[in-house]
Amino acid sequence: MEPVISVRNLTKTYHVGEHQVNALRSISMDVHKGEFVSVIGPSGSGKSTLMHILGCLDQPTSGQYFLDGRDVSRLSDDDISLVRNEQIGFVFQGFNLLTRTSALENVELPLLYGKSNISAAERKKRAMAALDSVGLGARYDHHTNQLSGGQQQRVAIARALLNNPSILLADEPTGNLDSKTSIEVMDIFQALQRDRGITIVLITHEMDVAAYGSRIVSFKDGNILSDVSNESRRHAGGELQEFPAVVN
Amino acid sequence: MQLPNSLVIATKALRRNKMQTALTMIGMMIGVATVLTMIALGTGAQNAIQDQVKAAGMNMLVVTAGNYQVKKEKPPDDAIEMSQRRNPEKGMRPHLQFVMFHPEDDPFAVHDHPVAKQRLGDSEAGLGAAATLSLDDAAMIRAVPGVQYAVEGIHENVHVGYGDTRWFTRVHGDGSSLPEVRRSWKFVHGGFYSERQERNKEQVIVLGSVVAEKLFGADNPVGRTVTLWKQPFKVEGVVTSSSWMVVPEAGDDQFDAVYIPVTTMQSLLNLSKLNDITVTTKSTGDVSRVAKTITPMLRQRHNIGANQADDFTVTTQASKSLMKGSLRPDVAQAVIGNVSGLEKVTLDQLGKTLDRSSRTMTALLGGIATVSLIVGGIGIMNIMMLSVTERTREIGIRRSVGAREHEVLMQFIYESVILSVVGGLLGIVIGVIASSAISHSVQWSTSISPMAIALSFGVSAAVGIFFGYYPAREASRVAPLKSLRFE
Repeated sequence: MEPVISVRNLTKTYHVGEHQVNALRSISMDVHKGEFVSVIGPSGSGKSTLMHILGCLDQPTSGQYFLDGRDVSRLSDDDISLVRNEQIGFVFQGFNLLTRTSALENVELPLLYGKSNISAAERKKRAMAALDSVGLGARYDHHTNQLSGGQQQRVAIARALLNNPSILLADEPTGNLDSKTSIEVMDIFQALQRDRGITIVLITHEMDVAAYGSRIVSFKDGNILSDVSNESRRHAGGELQEFPAVVN
Repeated sequence: MQLPNSLVIATKALRRNKMQTALTMIGMMIGVATVLTMIALGTGAQNAIQDQVKAAGMNMLVVTAGNYQVKKEKPPDDAIEMSQRRNPEKGMRPHLQFVMFHPEDDPFAVHDHPVAKQRLGDSEAGLGAAATLSLDDAAMIRAVPGVQYAVEGIHENVHVGYGDTRWFTRVHGDGSSLPEVRRSWKFVHGGFYSERQERNKEQVIVLGSVVAEKLFGADNPVGRTVTLWKQPFKVEGVVTSSSWMVVPEAGDDQFDAVYIPVTTMQSLLNLSKLNDITVTTKSTGDVSRVAKTITPMLRQRHNIGANQADDFTVTTQASKSLMKGSLRPDVAQAVIGNVSGLEKVTLDQLGKTLDRSSRTMTALLGGIATVSLIVGGIGIMNIMMLSVTERTREIGIRRSVGAREHEVLMQFIYESVILSVVGGLLGIVIGVIASSAISHSVQWSTSISPMAIALSFGVSAAVGIFFGYYPAREASRVAPLKSLRFE
């Protein structure tokens, strides 16, 4: 089966003043459909750069990036925007929701862009469904500042999933959350992979967060250090039950 | 119909920043309201000037009893006939032309008695004394084609009394259509007397606002009774100036005056003649023709022989203003006597002057309006620039979910257009209200044309696009990755 993500000899070089920083040094890897890949490494290891290139927010200095078999590393801005809109869902550490905007309007944001012209009623319907799937249907009209961090991250996940993307890219999604809500978010990711077969790439610097993935790729100094299947995978669903019941 | 997505996005974005949106709109609103009010005041003033020129009587001519230009008397019976060769155009046979020569006109003669000029003084010119016009003359003039109104006039000085208060002023005995002739009139209370009251010689009176104020203060005098010549007169109305250019004051002839029906005045004072007849023509270009029709008609009615002078004077407003103007009287007379169709020339010049002054006015207003709108536009640009910096993260979020450069550009342009257009519409509303408030409270005339409204609207939209474009382009050029990292 053709991989969802296939990168070949990917390099990224930054110029900071007179210094040349090699963020990525000829990376090659494949991610197949339905995988939950944790990318781990210390800061400066190049994992964030990889994430930005995978998310089409940045372009590689050299090398190729095939997304669903199509080379997206040299597309025009309009085309790359469309790729982001239709094929990629982002979940960020800082949630990146629009402030002073309701959860519903945040979730339906991707539908306002892209090729499809969707009616307001249809937008709302699909956004509501997405919010329901992350358990926030009742809070659709809450503004982002009225939601807890975990809830905000779930709104972000609902937004990322709205256009049924090929991959879900999560950049330190639990970095701003406490341990219980972190587990809740990881539970959603695992459920998405398990129930809907969504391909997930998770970037983190914490090993115990990476442990929720089915495969762990570790980075160091712009190189892949190791790429192994995760034998001792954590299961968020089970861990949640061990937490004392707290009213959400 | 589906709205463009960018418009939906822009509306939502503006709703997110209600305070900023409101403040920017207020800025734009004040700008447009100021511009519109200024245009309203300017065109109002322009219209007022034009009204004044019209009200000053571009289509008016006055027939006055007597003829002060003629200093010659009908020759007495003992006048010596002298053969004359001069004045060839006057008769068919210049060699046989006879002119009546008065012995008193002989400059070398020495007289043992006061000559006619010395005896009669100015009264031979008929100013006041030689009343020759009648109500029938007025009726005949009224029937001349092209004549709009012909209003009879007798003018005297009188004491008007109310209770113990007396006021010495002018009384005008006039026809009931006088208000139609005086176009800058406005009735504070009541109205003018009717044609029926004039016909029935009723003792009704209309007070000028100055008289009304002297006698009644701020009270409404309509229905009260004042006395003229110890006769009771019922007050029908109070008249004042409708134009801010003419302010009623004591001593003027229009508002420090009272008006009674000309018939009433004639019967009370036992008069049969008129001082003057004020004639207006339906169109301003008709003045000369009507004047030329009136002159022979009145000559015939007054039985004036071919070689006798008129016993009345037809004055058009143009020649009148020449006489009143800074020209020396003899020069003015020469001009009036020698330029045929003078009022046409003057009207032409007046029209040109008006055109020039209104063009200057328009240019001035246009200049002020442009500056205000540029200031308003820079305000919008400033806000949009600020918000581009402030909203870098928002732009990043939008880009990360698939917004294209073009869509971000359109969002920001739509935002500034919405700001300026909604602000502009509010400004139009405020401007209309403000100008009507000004014209009500300060009595300045204002005029808002649909054109001015359309222009303000169009300009505010243009300002939005023009001044919104640069910030919008800046916004669309922010790299997605950079904007997401922006804290």
